[in-house]
Amino acid sequence: MRADIVVIGGGPAGLASAVSAYKEGIKDVLIIERDMELGGILPQCIHDGFGNFIFGEMLTGPEYAQRYINELKKTEIKIKLNTMVLEIDSNKRIIAVNSKDGLLEIEAKAIILAMGCRERTRAQILIPGERPSGIYTAGTAQRYINIEGMMPGKKIVILGSGDVGLIMARRFTLEGAEVEGVYEIMPNPGGLTRNVVQCLEDYDIPLYLSHTITNIEGRRRVEGVTVAKVDSKMKPIKETERFIPCDTVILSVGLIPENELSKKAEVKMDPRTGGPIVDERMETSIPGIFACGNVVHVHDLVDDVSEAAEVSGKGAAEYIAGKLKERKIPINVKNGRNVRYIVPQIIRAEKFDKDIKFYLRVKEIEKNTRIVVSSNEKEIFEKKERIVRPPEMIKLNLSPEILNKITGNELTIEVKK
Amino acid sequence: MKDNDQKIAEKLKKKKFSKIKTSVKNGIVYLDGEVNSWDEVIELGHAAGEMKEVKGVINNIIVKDVKEKKREKNLPKDTYNPHLPERADVVIIGGGVIGCFIARELSRYNLEIVLLEKESDVACGATKANSGQIHTGVGEESGTLKKKLCAEAWPMYDKITEELDVPFKRNGLLVVITKDTLPKIPSFIGNFISKYIIPYIVMRKGKDVGDKPRIIKRDELLRMEPNITDRALVAVFMPGYGIICPYKLTIALAENAIQNGTKVLLETEVRDILVEDKKVRGVMTNRGTIETQFVINAAGIFADEIAEMAGAKEFTIHPRKGSILLFDKEEEGYVNHQVSELRFPQDPYTKGGGVLMTVDGNINWGPTAIEVPDKEDKSVTHEEIEGIFEKYGFIFPNFPKNSVITYFAGLRAATYKEDFFIKASKNIRGFVNVAGIQSPGLTAAPAIAEMVLKILKDAGLKMEEKENFNPVRKASPVFDKLSVEEKKKLIEKNPLYGNVICRCEHVTEGEIIDAIHSPLPALTIDAIKRRTRAGMGRCQGGFCGPRVAAILARELGIPLEKITKDRNSNMFVGRTKSLLMEEDKCGQT
Repeated sequence: MRADIVVIGGGPAGLASAVSAYKEGIKDVLIIERDMELGGILPQCIHDGFGNFIFGEMLTGPEYAQRYINELKKTEIKIKLNTMVLEIDSNKRIIAVNSKDGLLEIEAKAIILAMGCRERTRAQILIPGERPSGIYTAGTAQRYINIEGMMPGKKIVILGSGDVGLIMARRFTLEGAEVEGVYEIMPNPGGLTRNVVQCLEDYDIPLYLSHTITNIEGRRRVEGVTVAKVDSKMKPIKETERFIPCDTVILSVGLIPENELSKKAEVKMDPRTGGPIVDERMETSIPGIFACGNVVHVHDLVDDVSEAAEVSGKGAAEYIAGKLKERKIPINVKNGRNVRYIVPQIIRAEKFDKDIKFYLRVKEIEKNTRIVVSSNEKEIFEKKERIVRPPEMIKLNLSPEILNKITGNELTIEVKK
Repeated sequence: MKDNDQKIAEKLKKKKFSKIKTSVKNGIVYLDGEVNSWDEVIELGHAAGEMKEVKGVINNIIVKDVKEKKREKNLPKDTYNPHLPERADVVIIGGGVIGCFIARELSRYNLEIVLLEKESDVACGATKANSGQIHTGVGEESGTLKKKLCAEAWPMYDKITEELDVPFKRNGLLVVITKDTLPKIPSFIGNFISKYIIPYIVMRKGKDVGDKPRIIKRDELLRMEPNITDRALVAVFMPGYGIICPYKLTIALAENAIQNGTKVLLETEVRDILVEDKKVRGVMTNRGTIETQFVINAAGIFADEIAEMAGAKEFTIHPRKGSILLFDKEEEGYVNHQVSELRFPQDPYTKGGGVLMTVDGNINWGPTAIEVPDKEDKSVTHEEIEGIFEKYGFIFPNFPKNSVITYFAGLRAATYKEDFFIKASKNIRGFVNVAGIQSPGLTAAPAIAEMVLKILKDAGLKMEEKENFNPVRKASPVFDKLSVEEKKKLIEKNPLYGNVICRCEHVTEGEIIDAIHSPLPALTIDAIKRRTRAGMGRCQGGFCGPRVAAILARELGIPLEKITKDRNSNMFVGRTKSLLMEEDKCGQT
């Protein structure tokens, strides 16, 4: 089997990239989705808050996904559901499997990686204790409640204040469960301020900052956890330990881009993002393999995912049309002061005829800052930010006019006081 | 006998037993009293057990102000209801690797064999938390039963695993000698001894157990293990060492026994052993009573309690916890052999673990060895995790430690003699203790089973070989391990093998259904995990958990809310509000 573009993953990133490639004139597009429906995680996100930037409306997850699915229906894009990609290689050959077609071997002209991310588990943060049932990641619990209609527990302790954890604190409460509290090891919440207010404060659910779980008890089912305050080095303070009886522990301790397939294709990875290194068109180190969405870096908002995915769709279409003119040596985008990561990591375009959007995260909270872009030690752009926080992604839109000021092969973005 | 008891009593007087009450009968030492810490309990038990003349130690010493945690009883469930036979020729208590091996070997004969297991699956005790090494016995103390049986058994594994279709690799053990092997000796002498004397001692020990060890100089060691510490001086390679999946072996043994007529009853807990005229008459369980003249006590950590029910207690089991950290398969290839560092002085009760790997390709570090008072304490503590990182991180200093995907603990069923206790009871005819099976119990299992068969024969069990015994058990297909062509064929035969349920390990719906309907049914999420690896990958069941639960409910014909992770570990507390309301409405109309 052959296809011009194969999109791996039918979540928000995959949908937006496929539609955008199609609009650019590539009609032979195939989306491979491992789940039974399109939309990725969105169908289980029944709360609202999606689509504010793209549609100017507050939509629920399923509604947001449906907007793109409706777009998709107008196209000839092919979809394979319940289909798992097992292998991809650097020659853009794909092996996938489902129960209808059996084993599929597909040759693609271009691939867009849109596999999304997965949740970090208990082991990644090394919570000691026993291994009973009743320990769930927030996303799994969300699926049980919103899709399967099953209640995972009655008395809940949540570790981590990532967005899904905050949303689930509210969701459990609405379902009649008791959420004892949300415990966050960092001195600041991990999720968006909006979610802290709407999901915890509005429901009187306490948020304990600089706290962690030091032990899980329960031989068969969770019987309780020990929590403790942590010091400035994030080490638990023994004297502050207290036991909380509960039957469920919900973990919202971060997301990891899911790049097992990218690694199989031998795409170069960025250890800072956990995703592939991409250029301004979201092309990876392998020509014709693109990536978008949470597989590249974990986003806060689905709107940003869709937006970046469109870029990758266009990029893949341009690649197939052979329209690209690349510079001999790519421009390296360097992380300056208080910058944890920047996407894209490189720029390949020879000429700048459209805007390039940069996405970055800071290492730590800072107030009254300037985000400064410089090339050859000369400032070419700045943006004032009253406050920068690690959980909130910063976006910089650089116009061709600014980009043309770049000299040499380096660009630095930094946070200045 | 009396003389021996007197000798022991005199020796006890000289030792540090002043605080507690001691008595001796038939070579068994009884310890009673109260002390301040569990460490003291263990120390006193070992002090008695060390004596050559002592055959067993019953240690009833308690720790001041410590209450024992109440243990739950296993009640029969409505979702699993096997038929308990009225009588059997032999009843085996315990479905660990030992019980299942004995069952499989006994199924060669024309006998009614019943195996009772209190958990929802076999291999749920020490077996499932075993590091899966096939040892050669090189690390065991000379003169022990465990060394003898281990040395006998390790060469048997090629045949056993072929018959039972269980993955097995002999990848060998590297005993590494480093600049830190002799920390208490000045380095200029220490390094000399370490380089030129210790390897030859280790070599000789390897030869003694039938292995063909060879000395590996530093250059070659670096070729074999490029990521090993700079402090490594030399190593001894033991090619006989192997790796196996302990629960897959146990499940295969149980299935093969079932094929040959054995009845395996899960979720069946022994409440009492019926004895008349000092002879075994039957076993009382939560499902009723079964008549028998022979009982094999392979109850692992609970073997002393089962022995006590029969009035045949000759030992106390003290749990020694071993915790293991397991890493992502992505690191496969970082280590090529099992690697363990030699360091003196050695802990007398553990070989010290190592940097190991599973037969499925996960590197794992451990196990620890910690005495715990509670027979159900399988917690992995912060100190253990840190300790493992430090100890084994020394051997591979640049290993990506953040690739841990899980950790778990098991309890070694140690006696105070620190050796296997495999004997027919002298008091109670027909009762055979197969107890104190600690490392290298997994390796020794086939030799243990042979020994038990001989004991039964000597005890008068009529053993007549079956004509139609089939030693071959075929594993169901493992999709991920097949070639492209084989995958295609399999899906053509059954399309459910094309539906991938576990993303991390590429486990298909077909495999999960195979597990549920196998001769030994998978009744829980963890039972499916052990058979298929669904949920064993890096996301630890986050993605496939809900899907596996749904398949299990569908195939067993039970509601989703009755699905458990393991015995009595429910996944759900009920339905959500909306569904409750719908059901209520249905009820009203």
